[in-house]
Amino acid sequence: MTVIAALPTSGPGAGEQFEQLYRSSAADVYAYVASLLRDRTAAEDVTALAFERAFRRRALFDVRRGTPRSWLFAIARNAALDELRKRRRTGALLHEIADPSTELEDLDSELAERRLLVREGLASLEPRDREVILLKFVGRLSNAELARVLRCSESNAGTRLHRAIERLREVCGVTR
Amino acid sequence: MSRDELNASEREELAALDRILAREPVGEQHLELAALVDSVRAGAPRMDPAFAERLDARLAAHRRRGGAAGARVARPGIRRLALAGSGLVAAAVAFTIVISSGVLSGGTTHPPAPARTTPKIPALSILPRKAPGATTTPTGATSAFAGSSVGAVPSTNLSVGRSLSARLVHRDSALTLATSPASMQSVANRIVAATEQRGGVVESSNVAIQGPASHASFSLAVPTGRLGSLIAALSSLASVRALNQNSNDITSSYNAEQARLADNVAARAALLKALATAATATQQASIQKQLNRLAARIAAEQRELDRLLGQGHTATLHVSVVAGASAKHAKASAGPFTTAFHRALHALEEILAIALVVLAIVLPFALTALALWWGATAVRQRARERAMRTA
Repeated sequence: MTVIAALPTSGPGAGEQFEQLYRSSAADVYAYVASLLRDRTAAEDVTALAFERAFRRRALFDVRRGTPRSWLFAIARNAALDELRKRRRTGALLHEIADPSTELEDLDSELAERRLLVREGLASLEPRDREVILLKFVGRLSNAELARVLRCSESNAGTRLHRAIERLREVCGVTR
Repeated sequence: MSRDELNASEREELAALDRILAREPVGEQHLELAALVDSVRAGAPRMDPAFAERLDARLAAHRRRGGAAGARVARPGIRRLALAGSGLVAAAVAFTIVISSGVLSGGTTHPPAPARTTPKIPALSILPRKAPGATTTPTGATSAFAGSSVGAVPSTNLSVGRSLSARLVHRDSALTLATSPASMQSVANRIVAATEQRGGVVESSNVAIQGPASHASFSLAVPTGRLGSLIAALSSLASVRALNQNSNDITSSYNAEQARLADNVAARAALLKALATAATATQQASIQKQLNRLAARIAAEQRELDRLLGQGHTATLHVSVVAGASAKHAKASAGPFTTAFHRALHALEEILAIALVVLAIVLPFALTALALWWGATAVRQRARERAMRTA
């Protein structure tokens, strides 16, 4: 996982650190936001907005309150939820924004079937469970970072994550 | 075990999940979890290369704007700016209140400076009454009485029976000063000079030079309009220990006396008419007797009116000067460093007083703003969480 201690706003390296954060997180942030919004155009807007907001507010980043990555995901989450509030649109399926690159045609049938199953299982989860899985699996946040984004304790974040994984296994019919 | 606590195997699985995400090897029992992670990640939406380019360009443009963007970053947010602005306004208001209410002097151990307190008391002995139709201005009222002859009031028919259209106020003040025994005589001389300069008179005085027991006292009469100026002048001669100012409205007494005088003047006119038509010597003698009694009464009433008018026109000031280490004397005897130290201490006291008042005013505003901001943030966050539940 990318670790950046702080985001200085001036001096040598200030721009490079934000650039590094952007390069290491942009795809994950987009994937997380797109999974939440299920709308490619809105996801692009929100992702861009999140990075611009992070760039503008980088002076307010406090290393004592989390890592740059958790801070960035928190900004992206708030922006995505604001977008959701604005649209008040629910119920769209994840495959509505299925990326051509994730098409399953080229995969062997067993792998393709499993991925399809997981995708549908994920889509059927409660939004809160789906979110915690996306933040962990896609955002690759540590439990402490997860807690920071979800505004809960680290142990609570771990519990929520474990239960969400269990539910995903359950809906996918996966056995250990 | 609380709801948030995980058992050992669950914790071990979460640790394995972190290793999987860090692309580190995991045990065979976690391969299923690795496959699950892989499936979720593989199914996650991917950024369109065209959008990635657009995003690169947008952020690059932000960075290129450099100065402006940097300035925006360094500049506090609108919320902070609003808070700072309201704080400044509150501080300015507080400062104005402090200055205007005399906290600067009241916050120290020094006695109240007369020059600051005297303007609060009307400088005119005769103040305009707020009666309908009253057109007399304070200045006009003063000049009307100051310029009029006291004896002319009863002798002129026009003024007889006319009550005051302005208030007649008698002012009586007492001032206690402290100075060193050595400067007692000098201060006494200057008190007399200052009084005479303002058209006042020393009604009585007593100056005793007896070393540390030296003292002086004066009873001064001064035109009421110049009382404030005289107090200010005397206060600059020595340290002010005490200042007491009293005012007494004598308008009603004056008006009552004026009405009695008018009645008596009218009665005298009637008697004079009766005297002219009296048929017998007995009648004439009786009327003359009444006229004499009336004349005595009118004279007494004239004197009383004169006295009341004089009270309104002239203020009395009782000055006591006691021996003691006056601030000026102490300052003179102290070295420059001690003086500077005392001045600095005094300035710090005043700054502290101002800071306390400002804090008392600003703190409620700041706490209210903070509570509003916190409340708005909490409401917004709850709305977001609701949006998440319906996502």
